[in-house]
Amino acid sequence: MLFFLARRVGVMLVTALCLTFVVFYLTNIPAKLETLAKTQAGSRISDAEVASWLDRNGYNQPMLVRYGEWLGVARGWTRQLDDGSMTGRCYLLTGTTIPGAAPERCGLVQGHWGNSTRFRAPVAEVIGARLGATGMLMLWVLIVMVPMALIVGVLAGMREGSRTDRTLSTFAIASTATPEYVSGVVFIALLASSTVGLSPLLVSWGWIEGPVLFQGNARSALEGITFWNFALPVMTVALYGMGYVARITRASMTEVMTQQYIRTARLKGVSFPSIVLRHALRNALIAPFTVIMLQIPWLLNGVVIVEVLFSYPGFGWTLFEAAANNDIELLLAASVVAVLVVLVTQLISDIGYVWLNPRIRVT
Amino acid sequence: MTHSKRKATELHRAAKLYARECREGRLSRREFMTRATALGVTAPAAYGLLGLAAPQARAQTPQMGGSLRMQMDIKAQRDPRTWDWSELSNVCRGWLEYLVSYERDGSIQPVLLESWEANEDATEFTLNIRPGVKWNNGDDLTAEHIAHNFERWCDASVEGNSMAGRMSALSEDGKLREGAVEIVDDLTIRLHLSSPDIAIIVNTADYPAAVVHPSFTGDDPVANPIGTGPYRPVSHNTGIGAVIERNPDHTWWNEGNGAWLDRIEFIDLGTDPAAWMAAAEGGEIDMTYQTTGDFVDLFEMIGMPQSEAITSATIAVRFNQTQAPYDNVNVRRALQMAVNNEIVLELGYNDRGTLAENHHVCPIHPEYAEIPGPVFDPAQARSMIEAEGLAGHEFELISIDDDWQAATCDSVAAQIRAAGINIRRTILPGATFWNDWLNYPFSATEWNMRPLGVQVLNLAYRSGEAWNETGFANAEFDTLLAEANGIADADERREIMAQLQQILLDEGVLIQPYWRSLYRNARPNILNAEMHPTFEVRYQHYGLA
Repeated sequence: MLFFLARRVGVMLVTALCLTFVVFYLTNIPAKLETLAKTQAGSRISDAEVASWLDRNGYNQPMLVRYGEWLGVARGWTRQLDDGSMTGRCYLLTGTTIPGAAPERCGLVQGHWGNSTRFRAPVAEVIGARLGATGMLMLWVLIVMVPMALIVGVLAGMREGSRTDRTLSTFAIASTATPEYVSGVVFIALLASSTVGLSPLLVSWGWIEGPVLFQGNARSALEGITFWNFALPVMTVALYGMGYVARITRASMTEVMTQQYIRTARLKGVSFPSIVLRHALRNALIAPFTVIMLQIPWLLNGVVIVEVLFSYPGFGWTLFEAAANNDIELLLAASVVAVLVVLVTQLISDIGYVWLNPRIRVT
Repeated sequence: MTHSKRKATELHRAAKLYARECREGRLSRREFMTRATALGVTAPAAYGLLGLAAPQARAQTPQMGGSLRMQMDIKAQRDPRTWDWSELSNVCRGWLEYLVSYERDGSIQPVLLESWEANEDATEFTLNIRPGVKWNNGDDLTAEHIAHNFERWCDASVEGNSMAGRMSALSEDGKLREGAVEIVDDLTIRLHLSSPDIAIIVNTADYPAAVVHPSFTGDDPVANPIGTGPYRPVSHNTGIGAVIERNPDHTWWNEGNGAWLDRIEFIDLGTDPAAWMAAAEGGEIDMTYQTTGDFVDLFEMIGMPQSEAITSATIAVRFNQTQAPYDNVNVRRALQMAVNNEIVLELGYNDRGTLAENHHVCPIHPEYAEIPGPVFDPAQARSMIEAEGLAGHEFELISIDDDWQAATCDSVAAQIRAAGINIRRTILPGATFWNDWLNYPFSATEWNMRPLGVQVLNLAYRSGEAWNETGFANAEFDTLLAEANGIADADERREIMAQLQQILLDEGVLIQPYWRSLYRNARPNILNAEMHPTFEVRYQHYGLA
């Protein structure tokens, strides 16, 4: 088991290294550095000013050296200012200008994630705060999605081919087939507009106080989550993931229901609800469990769209902002987080699989 | 106000000439206001010259207190003189004030200055600093502080310091010229210009000209909010929002004439107006920063009336003359000829503006000269392109992926195509568009308004200027422009302006289809928050009814 964990962590490190290098390369091609200089020093500065800005801020070294700086294996750049004080990567990160006061290397290895150029704040702070916001969103998404998906899947799968099965399957397929950027917009139009959809009807009947039923913008959820400001983004993400999980649950359930032991139980006269709940369910849940875990990284994709659509500043929104502004160190940190999320969820799914299915062992 | 006490006998000679022109109908009142106040004539005195009473600044005095939430982009802060977006200045307007301000009626009003005078040929300006102004750290505002700011503005070694270009008459070798700013006494400074420049005072109303305390190190005016205004920042999160509150520890020089609101909250909702709309419907914002296109009406539908500012802001669909085939004047003129500006205004900007004439000088500019406008003749355009052997050439028009800018270019391209000339449209995202905006062969750039016509020409069409995106280099044009910069008299300057405009037309420098009107939507109980032609958000004057 320990060996298995160690191997997994090793894979994770190698993946993170490769991915961050790719991201580093793509964000450091000359045109991208020019974008960065222009977002930092003024969008209409001249080419000479761009060159001078890049030079003064340590962007003129070879790419590999700079990647090494970020990792913390190469020495950070330094430059002496006119008044004798020093500046440089490590001086800026530790907030000092006294020559010799800053460490030589300051990268990931030393625990420095760098500074975000877009948000003018330490990357660790930005990522921490934004992951917290996305954590809340994902939590509610899972709370809504998992029970709904399992219930729909089990109900559909316990009697294959029945009317319930066909209805629920259609619903599940439709929800998976609707991407977030479609369902989000449809939800806003239907539920969060004072001129079209449900809200004007409800207002004219006097059922709601404000002009709209739900809020089509989740910014206020940052201060306090309410049902009215958080329902639409949660539903948008959850619906998309739900259909897929429900389909897998249904397939797994149908298969279990055709097993010999289920038939035996029925012949012995066990009631149908009891068969489903006590004999079929645990076995039917093995496949959906893995899928739910694998679904989490996928949902992070959807989170980018949903957070931008509802202007909810979470991890996906940060990723979007960082990419749009070529915020190199923030993008790197975000990719490390993405690798972590993927591999940790896979790890949980593998371990959980072993626990659910005694026939499998991790060795 | 104190400055209304000045006697008419002290008025600048040219101002009286302007007043006569205005009365005779040769000058609009708006033009008159810009010109007269630029020479140091106070607004009430300027109205007086016309025999009118100054309009009441506020029809309704807002109540004290309340808070306001406004949609606006919040960008990472930096040194004010390097600001490249009005939004950056708007956050700080509550504590960083300006020497003078540009008003919606086109006049220049004193803020930290009490008054100013120009000499006859506009080479010497005497600035009288308002007495009794205190910084919020307790210091008095003195002439030395203002001189320090002029020195900062003139420092061209700071990347992105756009004030350096505006202060060129005061600087030398990228620094403040020795003796250019003379400290006369504690509250008076005198500017000695190397060449006549009628725009120097107007330029200090521009958004990067915020006056900072001498202790300001030049990084983040939010982290170090020493200023003269009545507000202070509470929080500032890039991309998310900023909160400003009234500063309880500071007595504002203008107390009683503003600072009504307790708290202003800026909320950054991204660039998609649909998201602003959703936020407005959910009651999360009270007003927008700027509304464009169909959304002006949509916001009005949900109970947020619009306010409009007529401006000389525009879009320049320009050719870069340093690149083939646009180095050929016939090609440029042919493409101009293929485009009917009226149609572009209608399709590209929903008719929310006024027609322009391809020379980037606007009727609201004081020195605008009426000359025959551009010709629309698609058949002629086609034959000119054929004559140049470019019948099979595919032109390419590049624009940013912004709603109205893309629509404008689409309509320009559609007309060129309709004239039988091949053209392709390319739309670039904002992040990549600005990388190369000066060098695209044929693209569109948004230009904000400047109060005087010569200002834009100086910035964008003089040979070798940093923002000269057309590659236009014309010795005759440069000489005439330098001449116009020193002429205070209207008729005289307009004569030169007519020549300048004609040169721009003859050379086919750009397709400039319309002047934009700017819009903003706000809830009806918000006072004094009308759209400002230069996007200023002076929240120290906003209030609730």
